[in-house]
Amino acid sequence: MLSWGCFGMKNRVDSSGQPDRRVGLGPFWAIVQADLRSLFRNRITYGWLLVAIFIQVVRTLGSQTTTDLSAVVSSGLGDFIYIWALVIIGLAASSVSSEAGELADSVMSKSVTRVDYVLAKFASRITYTLVVFSIVTAVLVGMGLKLEAGDYNGLGLASAILLVALALVMLTTLGVGFSIAMPNTVMAIVTLLVLWYSMTALFPAIGLGFLSPGSLLGMLPNVIKGTWSQEGWETVGGFATVSIVSAVLSSAYFYLKDI
Amino acid sequence: MDRVIEVENLTKIFGEKLIAVNNLNFSVERGTTYGFLGPNGAGKTTTIRLLLGLIRPSAGEVRVFGEQMTPSASGLRRRIGYLPTNPRFPPKMTPITYLDFVGRLFRLGGEERKNRLSALIRAVGLLGDSAREIGSFSTGMLTRLGLAAALMNDPELLILDEPTSGLDPSGRKSTLDLIAELGKEKTILVSSHILGDIDRICSSVGVISQGKSIFSGTIKEIKKSVSSHVVRLELEGDVEKFCGALKGAKWVVGFERWGDFAVDVEFDRGMPMADAVRAAADLVSSLGLDLISVTSSSSSIEDAFMGLLRDEESRGFLRAT
Repeated sequence: MLSWGCFGMKNRVDSSGQPDRRVGLGPFWAIVQADLRSLFRNRITYGWLLVAIFIQVVRTLGSQTTTDLSAVVSSGLGDFIYIWALVIIGLAASSVSSEAGELADSVMSKSVTRVDYVLAKFASRITYTLVVFSIVTAVLVGMGLKLEAGDYNGLGLASAILLVALALVMLTTLGVGFSIAMPNTVMAIVTLLVLWYSMTALFPAIGLGFLSPGSLLGMLPNVIKGTWSQEGWETVGGFATVSIVSAVLSSAYFYLKDI
Repeated sequence: MDRVIEVENLTKIFGEKLIAVNNLNFSVERGTTYGFLGPNGAGKTTTIRLLLGLIRPSAGEVRVFGEQMTPSASGLRRRIGYLPTNPRFPPKMTPITYLDFVGRLFRLGGEERKNRLSALIRAVGLLGDSAREIGSFSTGMLTRLGLAAALMNDPELLILDEPTSGLDPSGRKSTLDLIAELGKEKTILVSSHILGDIDRICSSVGVISQGKSIFSGTIKEIKKSVSSHVVRLELEGDVEKFCGALKGAKWVVGFERWGDFAVDVEFDRGMPMADAVRAAADLVSSLGLDLISVTSSSSSIEDAFMGLLRDEESRGFLRAT
């Protein structure tokens, strides 16, 4: 039963006509936190973490006497490019399009700008991907270091991890961008799957190796051992450029479109 | 009185295929409850989305609180509460987490959010379900949660898009009571195709058909515009005898019998309505019948609405020929 008497509200409006006492972290953080909370409570996240950690544990235990650290870590990081990219694509490419109905109802009709919303989506999905990546990689590296094979350089190991993290940031950014540009979630996911595996497998063959996550994986053992090449910088530049261009273009499109 | 909403020559064309809103003009004055009427597909929801800056007009403009509404006008939306038709919310949230989220979108402080959401959850009768996931809610519960969310920022202007859609009679009544109560201190725009709701809670009304405004004025004016001088009498006694007497009455233009005890009587337009009703009552009394009720069928907003739509349709046909 609706009753209004218990809630005698009065507009608190100052002389300029603007409501006062409006404080807090703002819409951007509200959307980031709500999105992250929803992602980390999702069963997909639990399943992903469990399986990914299990695979890394089996990999490191299974290669204790035969393999060097650089090979184990490269192979473990490769899972994110070849296998877990599927999960990242699914979650990123559905981030905006799957909310199409409730987006206007529950978010954009409030005191939220489109820039707030789109930046929050990029921030939350990138944070989510990097948190999962960090947890799984911490297990991989932690167990790998027990091998004590000694074929790694600390800075090189960190650089290799950051390179893969950058590739995942690029993938997530592309995913959110596709999700903004394509109202159909399935279409966004399929398009990104085709693009990602083309980048991974086909780009090196057409001279775009610096944009290929597959080429990146080929470089990783040497990077972990402390050998950094010009190709590494090209890859960093390529991935960063794709991420920034994708984020800017999709944000501009979201700013202009009807919701 | 100052105008809270001003819509001027507003047009929205989707993909160069569908003209959803066609050169629409209306205004809503502060402190009024404005009914936005139209049949399904008339362009009501599109107009509301334009009012909120969720979509951009193809031509014309929308001004809210004297400022132009655009997608980036979040400061204006801070002063508006919006209840969508059949609202959709994040299914995994509970009413508490959702209203807290809405409060944060409006930049309300923590203490203010908690106070407001707890009072609103109680006010809309969701206290017992406040820890349940929204995904399991019925249509009525979603509407009540939507109302709470629309009031979270204590808005000056409330925009309610078919607020009684999908509600049972009890939910509908209590929602209308709430809107009537809110109307005492806020400006409200209520869109609906349920005419009885509009009649009950609104002071002014705008009628839209095929994206075009076909009437704007007070409820009284819309009813008067299609007044037909017809009264329905419900009688106890010999209704045949009464009908026979009507045939000889000079002030009667025509009559039609409805069922066993009702008769619609159309009076001469030159005769004041009060005199016509008095004459009918005298006739009933002189024939020894008892009068159960008298209703002016032309006073129903349904008739007024249908009349306006018919007029618009015939005008459209004439324009085409």
